Amino acid sequence: MRKRLVFSLIACLLALTILVPGCAKEAAQPKEPATPTIKIGIIGPMKFVQGQHHWFGAELARDEINAAGGIIVKGTKYLVELIKTDSNEMLSPTDAAAAMERLITVDKADFVIGGFRTEGVFPMQDVAMDYKKIFLGAGSATKELCMKVKENYNRYKYWFRVTPFSNVNLVNNSLLTLGTAGAIMKQGLGIQGKIKVAILAEQATWADAMVAAYQAYVPQKLGMDVVGAWRPSATATDVTAELSAIQASGAHIILTIISGPVGIPFARQLGELQIPLASVGINVESQKDGFMSATNNYGNFETTLNTYAKGVAITSKTNAFFEAFVKKHGQTPTYNAGTYDAIYVLKAAIERAGSLDSDAVVVELEKTDMETTAGRLVFMGKDTDTPHDVTYGPGYVTGIATQWQNGEMKAVWPLNWNNVTYPGTVQWQIPDRVIKAYKK
Amino acid sequence: MLRRLLKDFQGDIIAVPGRLLALIFFIMLLLVPLVTNEPYILRTLIFANIFAIFAVSWDLLSGYTGQVNFGHALFFGVAAYTSALLNLKMGMPPWATIPIGALAAVVAGVVVCLPALRLRGPYLSLVTLAFPLILLGIIFTFTGFTGGEFGVSGLSRVSNSRVTDFYISFGVMLVSVMIMWKLTDAKSALVRTGIIFHAIREDEITARASGINTIRYKLLAFAVGGFFAGIAGAFHAHFMRIAGPSNLDLFLSFQAIIWTVFGGITSIYGPVVGVYIMYPLMEFLRVVPEIRMLIFAGIVVIILLFMPEGIAVFIRDKMEQTCPRCKLSNVWWRKTCRACGANLR
Repeated sequence: MRKRLVFSLIACLLALTILVPGCAKEAAQPKEPATPTIKIGIIGPMKFVQGQHHWFGAELARDEINAAGGIIVKGTKYLVELIKTDSNEMLSPTDAAAAMERLITVDKADFVIGGFRTEGVFPMQDVAMDYKKIFLGAGSATKELCMKVKENYNRYKYWFRVTPFSNVNLVNNSLLTLGTAGAIMKQGLGIQGKIKVAILAEQATWADAMVAAYQAYVPQKLGMDVVGAWRPSATATDVTAELSAIQASGAHIILTIISGPVGIPFARQLGELQIPLASVGINVESQKDGFMSATNNYGNFETTLNTYAKGVAITSKTNAFFEAFVKKHGQTPTYNAGTYDAIYVLKAAIERAGSLDSDAVVVELEKTDMETTAGRLVFMGKDTDTPHDVTYGPGYVTGIATQWQNGEMKAVWPLNWNNVTYPGTVQWQIPDRVIKAYKK
Repeated sequence: MLRRLLKDFQGDIIAVPGRLLALIFFIMLLLVPLVTNEPYILRTLIFANIFAIFAVSWDLLSGYTGQVNFGHALFFGVAAYTSALLNLKMGMPPWATIPIGALAAVVAGVVVCLPALRLRGPYLSLVTLAFPLILLGIIFTFTGFTGGEFGVSGLSRVSNSRVTDFYISFGVMLVSVMIMWKLTDAKSALVRTGIIFHAIREDEITARASGINTIRYKLLAFAVGGFFAGIAGAFHAHFMRIAGPSNLDLFLSFQAIIWTVFGGITSIYGPVVGVYIMYPLMEFLRVVPEIRMLIFAGIVVIILLFMPEGIAVFIRDKMEQTCPRCKLSNVWWRKTCRACGANLR
């Protein structure tokens, strides 16, 4: 009797695994559309915020484009059909490559957008190139992905990066923000002599190269002194030892390189202990909406590089996109939501090419000069070191820096940088705790 | 001669349902490219072949010898990186880098074995867990050489055809599994390793008291386990065209354990069955990405709850019965042994 029950249970479960996916597929598939569709695969780590924002951004673009009449290819109207694919790249790049192959060969995606973890994007890129499918990157910042286009153009020309700009420019933006903060502190507090900078970088490979770059460029380009580099774990829950040591070093500003959860205790303890130092750089935690509550409201004045901020019109498209995204999902979009721009860029290229043929669309993508939500998007040319990468700089995509001011995330950079100021940007503020300490 | 071979085939394969089933399965697998050229299906089967070698190598080391290794991905990763670096930096072709990568994994196996000579049980397992982490630390220290968190990419392919890749991986898997099966076969007249591995696992002190140099055999188990895990790792790197930190991931080490335990530990064919069920099943479950892992975990839990010895062993026990007198396997419906005529009921 017991055996029979066990077998029945197992049989039911196995049947469920066969039937449920079948039903789900049935339900997920829309009825045969009257209008033909262009299938765009959205691939990313869908169980993580990065993948979710890939999908949210793409959905928004699909709804807008389809409502506005779809994509017109030589007089024929096509609707955008999205295929959501979980790459599982955070856990397994093997899975990511398989997911990409499935997307192309089974789901028959015409174009692919997404990717996040570099180790997963490399094999995904290879699979897409094998099938000559256009793959628009919307997550990994490493320049090596675009260097492959230079190394073997005929094979890798189908790869383009829409967001973010190359990791090299992250250093550049951090230095520019640091320069701005340093100048304001020097003037506002009457600091004599050189501004002293302490680097606080999480223990991660991506941060290693940046630490080395800061140690070389901060004195050279900004005329500031680097007093040392402190490397807490990316998941540390207490950084008082590092903060005390930094305070004792006589630093004025902490330059952060943090993507992990340590960004929360760092900002909280900086405020709790009233350490008279300003903090600028990269702190991914402070890009999130819940940052102030996570830091018990001690996170005020934390400054980080960012992509979007409420009310900051990088272009005429930014605010509408930002508002629509927040309204639909209740979250501030991350740079991965640049899938929104990627679909518009693709639409324009397809319409110009008058074809869905990859080679024809590549030619048109290379001619892209478009106002997107993150700036003017122009892909770097074949003659550069990183073809098909995002062109960075004034008049193109620059990114922004945001600071928490009175519990609100405000854009503070660029402000009059090479004639670039985005509407809604305000001046960077010296933290109250620093002003208090200097008044004493 | 031919008649003798046919008779052996009939006695050793046809008359034993488990082996007959395995034969049919492998023949069907061999015919897959004739039925479909779907690259995604072939990719899934290629990875199943690669991971079958990996899981069986864990079974050889941990299931048979009892040296429970929680860091088996070390061998996979060492071979993947060695083969990737040799291919990229020295331009060596895959047919050379794969065996060299596997030999590097043998060296890693011997290094890991050194603490195994002093530690036992959970202490050994915890130490083996640390080795991939140490290697990860080295990789992240010498990023210029190892590519750091991005890995080493752009490797040569094993072949330019998916079908060829499939047949190569299938052949390598078949040969590797056969060798490991022979090495662990306690009844083998050819090699003694099988019975000695069993003895070490069951009672190492008694084995030593019987005159067996257990250190030598433990070293052998680590070296052989490392070699075959290395073959899998190097092949994986060339097929993926990248070797990265995920090749040393704890997740990968645990996957080998899950596949093996699911199929049936200490059986060699168990891990093969485990991989061939679990890996394609996970791919199939992509149609419900939200509950993919949940279903996977549910199936593993239920199978292990009701088939604690693994699904392959459970099925074999249902299909076969062992003669109490001559220990020969018989099909389940027989009432008397096919060899000695002893009563089976």
